[in-house]
Amino acid sequence: MKKTSLGHVKSDAKVRVVEISGGSNLEHRLLSMGVYKGKLLTKLSHIGLQGPVVIKVGRTILALGHGVAEKIIVEKE
Amino acid sequence: MIKKIYLIGNPNVGKSVVFSRLTGVQVISSNYPGTTVEIAKGYLILDNRKVEVIDLPGTYSLDPTSGAEEVAVSLLKELPKDEIAVINIIDSTNLERNLLLTLQLIEQGYPVVVCMNMCDDTVHRGVHINFNKLEELLGVPVISACALTGMGIKLLTERINEAVPAPKDKVTHQERWLAIGKIIEQVQRLEHRHHTFREIMEDASVRPVTGILMAGAIIYGAFKIVRFIGEGIITHITDPVFFDFYQPLLERLTLHWQEEGFWFHLLIGDLINGKIDFKQSLGVLTTAPYIEFGMVLPYVVSFYLILSLLEDIGYLPRLAVLLDNLLHRLGLHGYAVIPVLLGFGCNVPGILSTRVLESKRERFIAATIISIGVPCVPLQAMIFGLLGSFGGFYVGGVYLVLFLLVLILGLIMNRFLTGYSPEFLLEIPPYRFPPFLMLWKKLYFRIKGFLLEALPVVLLGVCLINILLYFKLFDYLTAFFAPVIQGLFGLPKEAVVALVIGFLRKDVAVGMLMPLNLSVKQLFIGATLLAISFPCIATFVVLAKELGIKGLVKSTLLMIGISIITGTLLNFVILR
Repeated sequence: MKKTSLGHVKSDAKVRVVEISGGSNLEHRLLSMGVYKGKLLTKLSHIGLQGPVVIKVGRTILALGHGVAEKIIVEKE
Repeated sequence: MIKKIYLIGNPNVGKSVVFSRLTGVQVISSNYPGTTVEIAKGYLILDNRKVEVIDLPGTYSLDPTSGAEEVAVSLLKELPKDEIAVINIIDSTNLERNLLLTLQLIEQGYPVVVCMNMCDDTVHRGVHINFNKLEELLGVPVISACALTGMGIKLLTERINEAVPAPKDKVTHQERWLAIGKIIEQVQRLEHRHHTFREIMEDASVRPVTGILMAGAIIYGAFKIVRFIGEGIITHITDPVFFDFYQPLLERLTLHWQEEGFWFHLLIGDLINGKIDFKQSLGVLTTAPYIEFGMVLPYVVSFYLILSLLEDIGYLPRLAVLLDNLLHRLGLHGYAVIPVLLGFGCNVPGILSTRVLESKRERFIAATIISIGVPCVPLQAMIFGLLGSFGGFYVGGVYLVLFLLVLILGLIMNRFLTGYSPEFLLEIPPYRFPPFLMLWKKLYFRIKGFLLEALPVVLLGVCLINILLYFKLFDYLTAFFAPVIQGLFGLPKEAVVALVIGFLRKDVAVGMLMPLNLSVKQLFIGATLLAISFPCIATFVVLAKELGIKGLVKSTLLMIGISIITGTLLNFVILR
């Protein structure tokens, strides 16, 4: 399966997190909010080209800054 | 022996509502993460003893990753674990994510009671939870509750004593998520159902096209409704009271009074064409109450009604997502929308809530932008009162100038300030529809706060102005500032008084411009300058508290510089 960053996935795609390449602090924050390696999530939308990405993890909806989304590497299910 | 009870939980699970229920202390609660920026304390009677209850800021785990989380965790460690009880509040509609903190609390040996809040909402969303099974698996008391209605709160207090430490081995978050997955499988059943209208609207509000359309409609609608309600209160309630009842009463009482005396000057002010004019007389009993109750209060009521509604429904975080792009250019991120919107009500809570932003740099940018470019309701009400009769063009012009200033300032600060602005990472809450009683309570709480804060200052302010005017003490000040005010801004030198009073309260200051017979250009410049120059004294105090003295000086110098440049530009270039 091809790996891409979350920023480059199409809206409404279901993807699995492969890696979080943003330093341990970001990784930790995402981990405590329920986004971690192996987790399934749905990308809901992307506001503008450099804008935030909205995802759904379990029953939680999260908005991630563009920079954060670029650091989450995912693969399509 | 329990000495303190802590309320802990993820952001936006309703900790503050539970807190209000337990202690009777009213605190502001809203449907967005980070409402609680100041730690609230209250008391609960437990076994005939008064026990302190502390409402901690929301945290996702016990290893803090932000300032607010750090505060929560450090407070938790104040007392030995056998002298406290921890109420872990959980959003029942989102059990899985909430359990991470629960497992960590239990592991580390805190005496925990789990309060499953928002139980009423689970049914609508097709979530079924087996509470007994959850209690068995966690090994701590689990109580289902709905803090909005008060259900389960009594049981919660009864079972606090059952909280006993049961420390377990420390594991990693990854292992915890695995364990949580297993718990969820056993206790939660999700009903498959079609998307409800609410869910479709939740979704549409964070998609680019539909989201921006909705945002436009909501902001436009909110603005219209605030004006409609505010004007309605003025024409149907406050104006009749002031003009048909209060004015004849005052005139009758002062019929035989010597007009030239000090007391007459202080209490009633100047008569305009032999009559009291609430807008121009400038007395403690005439203009002061009219400004506060007749011009400002109606808009305070309508603004907070609409703001509270949007807060409780949960719309504001969605607006934050849509505006993230724009705010990024100003060195902020989307969430700065919350402090800015609160700042439109009053700059003080706006600046206080910049604490939801993480870095010092962001807080400085946000606080400076709020105190320069975000006019509070009292100020806006007065600008409408002052310029409204000349048409919407001028009122809109003031807003346009402020908006451009915010943009320019933000771009400049983003370019030159050192430090960093972290990325946006925010949970978007579901829409919720709180009972009207909650909304009224919040509105009442905010209006009471406004009156308690504003009224004494307004009365004292007008008193002080009159004393200074009567003894002609302003003359020195006026003479000193006249070159700037007259030469650069094209205002009459009496306007100095208004600008100085602006430091006390903005609404009174705009009121001071009313008797000066200014041209519309002068009014426009005066009102704009009052909006951007010095913040009022209350804002000044919180700015000092939040930014430190150095930050305050920096921010103030910026304000003075910007005021002089803007005033001069408006006078000589734009409004020629």
